[in-house]
Amino acid sequence: MSAVATSDADLVERLIAGATGTTPRAERGRAWLAANGLPTERDEAWRYTPVRDITAALATAVAAGTEATGVTRDLVDELAGDLGGPRLVLINGALAPELSDLTDRGAGLAGLWVGGGDELRARGSGGPYTGTAEPADGFQALNWVAGVDAAVVLIEAGNAIDAPIHVVHLATPGQMVALSHPRTVIKVGAGGRAQVVESFVGIDATADGRAITNSSTRIVVDDDAELTYQRVLNEPDTTLHIGRVGVVQRTRSQLHATAVATGGAVVRTAVHVNLTGERARADLGGLYLPTGHQRHDNVITVDHSASYCESNQNFTGIVGDHGRGSFSGHVIVRPGTVGTDANQSNPNLVLASTAQADTRPWLEIFADDVKCAHGATVGRLDEEAAFYLRSRGIPAAQARAMLVAAFASTALDRLSPDTLRERVASVVEVRTADTTANLETPS
Amino acid sequence: MLSIRNLTASVGDKQILKGLDLELPAGEVHAIMGPNGAGKSTLSNVLAGRDGYEVSGSATLDGVDLLELEPEQRAAKGLFLAFQYPVEIPGVGNMYFLRTALNAVRRERGEAEVSAVDFLKLAREHMARLEMDPAFLSRSVNEGFSGGEKKRNEILQMSLLEPRLAVLDETDSGLDIDALRVVATGVDGLRNPNRSMLIITHYPRLLEYVKPDKVHVLTDGRITRTGDHSLAHELEEQGYTPATAGTAS
Ligand SMILES: Nc1ncnc2c1ncn2[C@@H]1O[C@H](COP(=O)(O)OP(=O)(O)OP(=O)(O)O)[C@@H](O)[C@H]1O
Ligand SMILES: [Mg+2]
Repeated sequence: MSAVATSDADLVERLIAGATGTTPRAERGRAWLAANGLPTERDEAWRYTPVRDITAALATAVAAGTEATGVTRDLVDELAGDLGGPRLVLINGALAPELSDLTDRGAGLAGLWVGGGDELRARGSGGPYTGTAEPADGFQALNWVAGVDAAVVLIEAGNAIDAPIHVVHLATPGQMVALSHPRTVIKVGAGGRAQVVESFVGIDATADGRAITNSSTRIVVDDDAELTYQRVLNEPDTTLHIGRVGVVQRTRSQLHATAVATGGAVVRTAVHVNLTGERARADLGGLYLPTGHQRHDNVITVDHSASYCESNQNFTGIVGDHGRGSFSGHVIVRPGTVGTDANQSNPNLVLASTAQADTRPWLEIFADDVKCAHGATVGRLDEEAAFYLRSRGIPAAQARAMLVAAFASTALDRLSPDTLRERVASVVEVRTADTTANLETPS
Repeated sequence: MLSIRNLTASVGDKQILKGLDLELPAGEVHAIMGPNGAGKSTLSNVLAGRDGYEVSGSATLDGVDLLELEPEQRAAKGLFLAFQYPVEIPGVGNMYFLRTALNAVRRERGEAEVSAVDFLKLAREHMARLEMDPAFLSRSVNEGFSGGEKKRNEILQMSLLEPRLAVLDETDSGLDIDALRVVATGVDGLRNPNRSMLIITHYPRLLEYVKPDKVHVLTDGRITRTGDHSLAHELEEQGYTPATAGTAS
């Protein structure tokens, strides 16, 4: 008989008991989780997320199996694409070496090391985990307790890697509600430059099987280093995904990060960037596209803890059908800093009266010398423009799809290489074709 | 070709077209002139199928009632409206738009679609005739185009889509003297025995390049006068209400 959680406390106890990690990270996560539990909708940062749905699903979840049975390279190619560079594949949070392409592809990869966490420790490089850090919330703590392998991408100081490094997380829940805790660690050494794509995909093997993905990505961009990080979430529409990207940026480092969510029943993407060195720049953007009954939440935080840093948050929401999307743009400017430039924009396109877009700036500014701009819009499809296109012979559904694609283009144009952008653009097209086909005609 | 019978259109309580009749035979060019607010743009919008009007009467193109059709079906039947105020569509590339439109219309006509490469060549030819910089292809549809550039882009679309019936709503407004000559010559070059045009204008100048077979006056939602080409000049001199104009001084 499986234990059934009757309250969050029981649930937490069961989750802790189910994970046997003994690393310092796991110990710390366990202690934190036991003391603080899981978040609720009353927590400011979880305001828009249907936490109840997630905890209800967790109550019936089992740990996902980590063997790669039946997963072929072709399947990985089909779901996540082949971007031509090194590729690390993890199945339900465990590294699948036989599906991964590490150093054997392309020249010029000296100074790059990719692999699992155990080897990383063996190499003596350590991770960015310091032993004193606190998890941000119960889900992250849970990832610390239960997460196993990490996909590790290390770019050694002074090295520039041109090939896109692809980390693929594949969830295969089988017959169960299967819980996995994928982990990724990316570190770009001083003066280094790289491009990392993280794809989250999955297969629903049966009608009963669905995945709960509790992912954690840790990124360090060292002095004068530059990272392009692209996160593509296109999981089956039954998946629940709680994701967290924690970034530390040192002096004059540059981050260009894009997060795109198309699939999933509930997808929460929390990005937390700490600008710890002067003159660091974080350019964060994304696109989320809930349709059906999907929920896509983005909680984006930039913590300006050093002077002369610049951050941009530019997230585009397209909500259709009964979908709900949210953007919380959180900016913290620490006391004693000067020369801060922080911008946010969140245009939303609402395709149905039953769909909902929430947006809120969340500013905590404790310094004077700050330039801060926030712009959010929530609008409907431009019917004048649709009529113009139709008057030229373009069928209504296609005209609307063109306008939706145009709205998404600011976000899609951030994606590279072209194969990735085209892949995501076609997913957007297919998903919005469904949505715009059901558009009610305005009276 | 086009036959409009007792056409009415209202928005809410306001009746704009009040029983309009018009016959436009194949191959002819007719001009429509009339005071501001008379209903000229409303007529073109109703013909093109814009939402928001309560419409009655009929408007048949080659025997098919346009009023029954969706806007894209009207375009497929060969109707083209050059808008008085073309819409800006940020994010939709002009070239992509033009090719999509051309291929949509060609599909309806049972013709093969044009490839991207062939289209580029075709578009450049048409643009050269209208003295348009090919750079306009790589911009978003009408976005940031000057008033005159938008009008030229409308005529480029007309030239590419080869409509059977073109309605030009104040295509001459906003064009400078040289642009007017280029665009008007372009329009005149598109005249042929199978194509009819309805040219809405406030000024006789365009009509000197594109000589109309007839000139109609639209006042208060109806055609109130019809004459030949000379009517345009008469109106230019005397205005729409010569009696009151004469006593105004
Ligand atoms: N949606 C609407 N709601 C209310 N009134 C409208 C609407 N559309 C048009 N009208 C009115 O109908 C009348 C006719 O407008 P229309 O644009 O057809 O005039 P027009 O003859 O094209 O004028 P112009 O020469 O200035 O372009 C005007 O009085 C206008 O204000
Ligand atoms: Mg008008």
